[in-house]
Amino acid sequence: MKFRWLVFAAIFFFFLTACNPDSSGEVSGNGSESGENELIIAAGSDMVTFDIHDHNNTSTEAIHVNMFNYLVKNDGEGGFVGDLATEWEIIDDQTWRFKLREDVKFHNGDPFTAEDVKFTLERVAKDNTLLEHGNYNQIAEVNVISDYEVEIVTHNPEPALLNRLSRLGSGMLPKNYIEENGWEHFLEQPVGTGPYKFSEWIKDDRVVLVPNENYFGEKPKWDRVVFRAIPEDSTRVSELLAGGVDIATNIPPDDWERIENDENLKLAKSPSQRVMLLVLRTADEYVTSDPRVREAIDLAIDKEAIVESLYNGAATPTRTRVTPGNVGANEKLYGTSLYDPDRARELLAEAGYPDGIEIQFDAPSGRYLKDKETAELIQSMLAEVGIKANLTFHEWSTFSEKYAEKSFGEMFMIAYGNSMFDAALALVRLKQAENVGETDYINDEVEELLQVAESNMNTEERIAQYQRVQEIIAEERPQIYLFQMDSVYGLKANINFEPRLDEMFYVDDITKN
Amino acid sequence: MRYFISNVIKIIPVLFLISLIVFILVRVTGDPVALMLPETATDQEREELREALGLNDPLYIQYFNYMKDVLRGDFGDSLRYNQPALGIVLERLPASFTLALSSMAVAVLLSVPAGIYSAIKRNTFSDLIITGASVLGKAMPNFWVGIMLILLFSVNLGIFPVSGSGTLAHLVLPSITLGTGIAAEMTRLIRSSMLEVLNSEYIRTARSKGLHEAFVINKHALRNALIPVVTIMALQTSTLIGGTLITETVFSWPGMGQLLVQAVNLRDMAVVQAATFIIAILVILSNLTADLVYRYLDPRIKYED
Repeated sequence: MKFRWLVFAAIFFFFLTACNPDSSGEVSGNGSESGENELIIAAGSDMVTFDIHDHNNTSTEAIHVNMFNYLVKNDGEGGFVGDLATEWEIIDDQTWRFKLREDVKFHNGDPFTAEDVKFTLERVAKDNTLLEHGNYNQIAEVNVISDYEVEIVTHNPEPALLNRLSRLGSGMLPKNYIEENGWEHFLEQPVGTGPYKFSEWIKDDRVVLVPNENYFGEKPKWDRVVFRAIPEDSTRVSELLAGGVDIATNIPPDDWERIENDENLKLAKSPSQRVMLLVLRTADEYVTSDPRVREAIDLAIDKEAIVESLYNGAATPTRTRVTPGNVGANEKLYGTSLYDPDRARELLAEAGYPDGIEIQFDAPSGRYLKDKETAELIQSMLAEVGIKANLTFHEWSTFSEKYAEKSFGEMFMIAYGNSMFDAALALVRLKQAENVGETDYINDEVEELLQVAESNMNTEERIAQYQRVQEIIAEERPQIYLFQMDSVYGLKANINFEPRLDEMFYVDDITKN
Repeated sequence: MRYFISNVIKIIPVLFLISLIVFILVRVTGDPVALMLPETATDQEREELREALGLNDPLYIQYFNYMKDVLRGDFGDSLRYNQPALGIVLERLPASFTLALSSMAVAVLLSVPAGIYSAIKRNTFSDLIITGASVLGKAMPNFWVGIMLILLFSVNLGIFPVSGSGTLAHLVLPSITLGTGIAAEMTRLIRSSMLEVLNSEYIRTARSKGLHEAFVINKHALRNALIPVVTIMALQTSTLIGGTLITETVFSWPGMGQLLVQAVNLRDMAVVQAATFIIAILVILSNLTADLVYRYLDPRIKYED
């Protein structure tokens, strides 16, 4: 009798562990025993949609870049290389002409033509309900010159057009396929021109891509690519430790040692586009209106110490938000920071506050890596020089609502990204029309430089203008930049992967030994 | 039958009330537009989107429009997925159902024998162990149990997959995580229900007739003690659904719980409303079913009055 149960239990366990056709359920950790060349990437959030115009989610785009192509690609150094476009020229300040590749087919077999470019870009430029509309409404129209030639006309001179066309929202869509079958169908069965085709999407679980054998570029390397959504940090790390995934994103610093000590795993780090900063109000009724007070706040904070103690060194102190790799970056202000608590005390005294000051300090909690700890450390560093910061934490939805309403006090902490890779987006919030209630910052030189640079088609001059703005901001501090955050990935030791500044996963750049 | 119909009719105001409460709660706790756009969005972009989504209308007009659509079965579109919310919620039901059923199976398999045994062996060492374990099981938070099980069975022993779905093996750890908490609660209830029966007069009568103790327990006590178990199981439905919120997130199980957690975080109003609506219906239905089964098991119970 007992024996029968034992046999039953044994069979049951065998069934559970062996009957496992699904790759995402690999238990043994020995990757692709079936001989299939498979890559599994785990991210902290699920893809949100296949509507490339209606999201602003970096990890969604990291999947889409394998299915769709842009006209041009960012080369990571502030320049551009052709993708679906072979060459381009500026006809006049508001008109750009692009020549397209003639050998490109969508996954359903339709040829890619100028009509698709017009359809794609005009949709997002004109429909104001789409989340990416604000980054494309500079485009007035797209004119089809011939099957493989288009002209993009902008409302105003648009020096950052190539930046706009080489990012989220610019993947080319199949006009005929969508018009014949409708959006609903496209969202269920998306079709692009990229090296990988859609296979399945189980929401909050995984997106599976398979190779597009007719890709116009190099032949796809993987037989199957799985993007898994694992929101819980500890589960994502466990999955990596158990060998269930090849790459896991956003590994918290507390787990780095475990991964580095495991001979089958390693860490990969890259600077990201996100910069943590303090935003200060400069309007008269706030004590932070005095530039000396703002300088004192800057000098009181030891950024190096924060980076070392909280981020294990995985961040870079900076005095500008426009970091290397972005058009207009001022590299003199990057990789450096100021810290001088004695001078900070002096400055407060000079400003008429020998006994210190009290300010309101708002910060999000749980939005960015170590945001809470960073704010607490800043609070205690400020206290050292006599600045009493009344720190209030907000859960992200509350914080973002207050942020949108612009109802913060003297100072708040936030981390900005920049998917545009251009100084314009990084600095636009300092324009007077945008900063009321936020920094209230008024500086006529900055205002003029920002206005002119925005539509300056002379690249070199434009870069110089933005670099000058960064110098002034670093000096006057309506925003105090703290550090650029790294993105940290955990990988299997046999995976070769160079993390990118833009956090994209071009899976064919990833290889397995 | 009349009882059944009148209960079904009572559901309508309950659902109506739930929809109103959820509608207001979701709207007063945060602005979805602030969450949908990145930190770098301008005021104008926010305003345009708010207008486009109809969020600038007064609340009562929004509610009126919402109810008009709900009556036609349209809960609106998910802000996150940009697809009809009801479809997105229903799509997740099978996964949550599978998890809930297998967790309930784990709970029943653990709690029924344990509860009965500890009642029979009242005040012995085994009773102490079982009662102690059930207190402990109740005290351990779901997410902690989940993470511990992952570390032990997946990372160290490599027996079960860490997370995800797709095979039976994926179901084991989440079911145990969710099931043990419920088992703990049920064990204590079953134990006390069994004790009550064992102290009743008909059991004393049976014993005094000189029947064998095993016969007394199997034929007389067990059957009667199991009737409340049905109610207990039905009452656990809401605990079960609450538990899926955490368990599904820990194990990346693609069910309704994880969907709801993320929808709340993103203030994805349509999905929150559709999901709570479906959950409300499920809870009401499970209670009704319990009533019916109860009546079937114990013919003395009449609802006609």
